[in-house]
Amino acid sequence: MKKILIVDDEQDIVESLKFVLESCDYTCYCAYNGEDGLKLAREIIPDLIILDVMMPRINGYKISRLLKFDAKYKNIPILMITARSQEEDKLIGEETGADEYITKPFDLDEVVKIVQKYLNTEEK
Amino acid sequence: MGNILLVSQNNEIIENYRNLFGKKPYKFQYCSDETSIFDYIEINAPDIFIIDELSQLADIKQTIKKIKSKLDNAQILLLTNGENVDDEISKLVSGFIVDKFSNNLIISTINTHLKTKSNLDKLSEKNKDLADSLYRLNVLYNTSSQFAGTLDTKELINYMIEGLDKSLSFDLTSTIFFGLKNEPVLIINSLYDISEELMSALKLRAILNYKSLFENRTIPFEINENTLRVVKFIKNPTNKFTFSIFQYDNMFAPIDLGDNFFGCIEIFKQNPFTTDDATYFQTIVQQVSLPLKSAGLYQEIIEKNQELEKLERVKSEFISIVSHELRTPLTPIKNALSILSSGRCGILGENAVKFIDMAKRNVENLTNIINDILDINKIEAGKMDFNYKIMNIHSVIENVKNNFDCVAKEHEIIFKTLEQENLPDIYADSQRLDQVLTNLVSNAIKFTPTGKSITITSELKNASDIKTNPYFENEIKDLKGNYIVVSVVDEGIGIKKENLLKAFDKFTQIENSLSRKVGGTGLGLPIAKQLIKAHKGTIWCDSEENKGSSFHFALPVITESIEGKTIQKELL
Repeated sequence: MKKILIVDDEQDIVESLKFVLESCDYTCYCAYNGEDGLKLAREIIPDLIILDVMMPRINGYKISRLLKFDAKYKNIPILMITARSQEEDKLIGEETGADEYITKPFDLDEVVKIVQKYLNTEEK
Repeated sequence: MGNILLVSQNNEIIENYRNLFGKKPYKFQYCSDETSIFDYIEINAPDIFIIDELSQLADIKQTIKKIKSKLDNAQILLLTNGENVDDEISKLVSGFIVDKFSNNLIISTINTHLKTKSNLDKLSEKNKDLADSLYRLNVLYNTSSQFAGTLDTKELINYMIEGLDKSLSFDLTSTIFFGLKNEPVLIINSLYDISEELMSALKLRAILNYKSLFENRTIPFEINENTLRVVKFIKNPTNKFTFSIFQYDNMFAPIDLGDNFFGCIEIFKQNPFTTDDATYFQTIVQQVSLPLKSAGLYQEIIEKNQELEKLERVKSEFISIVSHELRTPLTPIKNALSILSSGRCGILGENAVKFIDMAKRNVENLTNIINDILDINKIEAGKMDFNYKIMNIHSVIENVKNNFDCVAKEHEIIFKTLEQENLPDIYADSQRLDQVLTNLVSNAIKFTPTGKSITITSELKNASDIKTNPYFENEIKDLKGNYIVVSVVDEGIGIKKENLLKAFDKFTQIENSLSRKVGGTGLGLPIAKQLIKAHKGTIWCDSEENKGSSFHFALPVITESIEGKTIQKELL
């Protein structure tokens, strides 16, 4: 089974994503802050990462950059969740290396479709 | 009093004239050479010169000219035998005394010329007074113009002192001025330098003067002699004033207007002031009060404005933060509803589906409203980002048509497009244009009843061929060159003529019978207007009540001479 890492400091969002993706037969790992997310990513080497931008301490852009500049992880597709907030606007223009951007509030079916596109699997 | 100078070497003549004029009311002098003439002029300017044509002057004409240049009104008489008088000389002199004149005739001639001289002197005096008045009026006029030309209080005070200097040529002015924050300054404008001791005396005197204005009343602003700031302007620092300045003539006046008090001024001059001087002083000091008041009001407006700008910024930030806070919980709500309706948590009953759909629809609605508020906020703060590319309008129209086909079918509305083929490219942000067209079409659907039609058209037009109703003439008057005009034409309820312009105002939904049925923030059209404006285009609408409305926007076409980069510069 393909492994997906979900990193977001909003538990509700993590939970709903986890529920839907698990129902599509993916194994989900969850982290609720940037540090844990980065640690977990390096530990389990997931097949795909869903990453929130605004998180305390290490933001999503930073994690994405760290992984994408590392040969070991650079092929992992990264789905970035953005809120288009003012705080985020300050980060605009930074190189992130993310493969896709999803704007909050997003549509779960949309997320499933994108995940499937990257992992070449069909919903059972 | 007649001051007579005889120029002659002939002792007989000298003796005769001394007999005639050597007593009062005459004063008689004589000399025989040019140097002495001008010495006399220096010491005691003669009224009448009697020049013997036989006197040994080097150049008699030159001498006469020189006398006249020194003394405008001097009467010059030539003593002559009356024969062969040089033409030029006879033009230069005021008259002649001929040898054969009797003594009585000589006296009467001299008296006549003395009278003339005295009249001329009076006239000159009057002229001088007139010239002086004219000069002062000019100064007054210039000062007034300067007052009218600025709202800077410091400049106004400087102009006032400058005007006083020009019209009264004072030796020293001492001005207490309360600036905008009511902090007093003592401004000393002085011809000569001032010692420390004299300065403290001036300071005390100014404060006493100021307080004397408010006898038995409370003074408007406190002044402390230790903290009073002093600004000194010295014209000629090589000399120093002594305490004798306090014996100079002086004038004092408050600078005020009604209840507004700005300060007071004292002016010193060694020569006594005339009544005219007093008038000019009063006039100039009074004249500065009105602009000082205006300047104060102007400053207030500026401060209010800054406050408003700050409020606007705070408002904008507040909206942004609140909107995001509102949007954050929407994501999990939406997700939860989506999971429930997907059947992943078990099959739902008919009513459950209905209510979950209701919740979903309203979450969607709320999301759109928040997005609209964020958009207009961003546009107003000038923070909207645009991703300009060379593109064709066809792709946008096609996309919007596809997105709305289903909805139109549901509402049983005939939805079609009528595009001009091979339209030239434009330089635009396709996502934003999509947003504009989506807004126009969704509005049209809201207001169009079943069975009627909505059409999207596109065509290439020259600015001169773009016509609109009188309400929007201002919007199209600056268009130049070729434009692509996209229109959304519906057969809906239409808009009253007087409401056409309001359509693009913020937070207005035009009153009509359907308004309760149709939701929305009323921000869609104002956003569309701003987005089109950012593209250097324009947007307007036409409508006829109960027949339908048409909304149009025009976007500039890329001309061959202006390719990509140039346009980009224009847009950014």
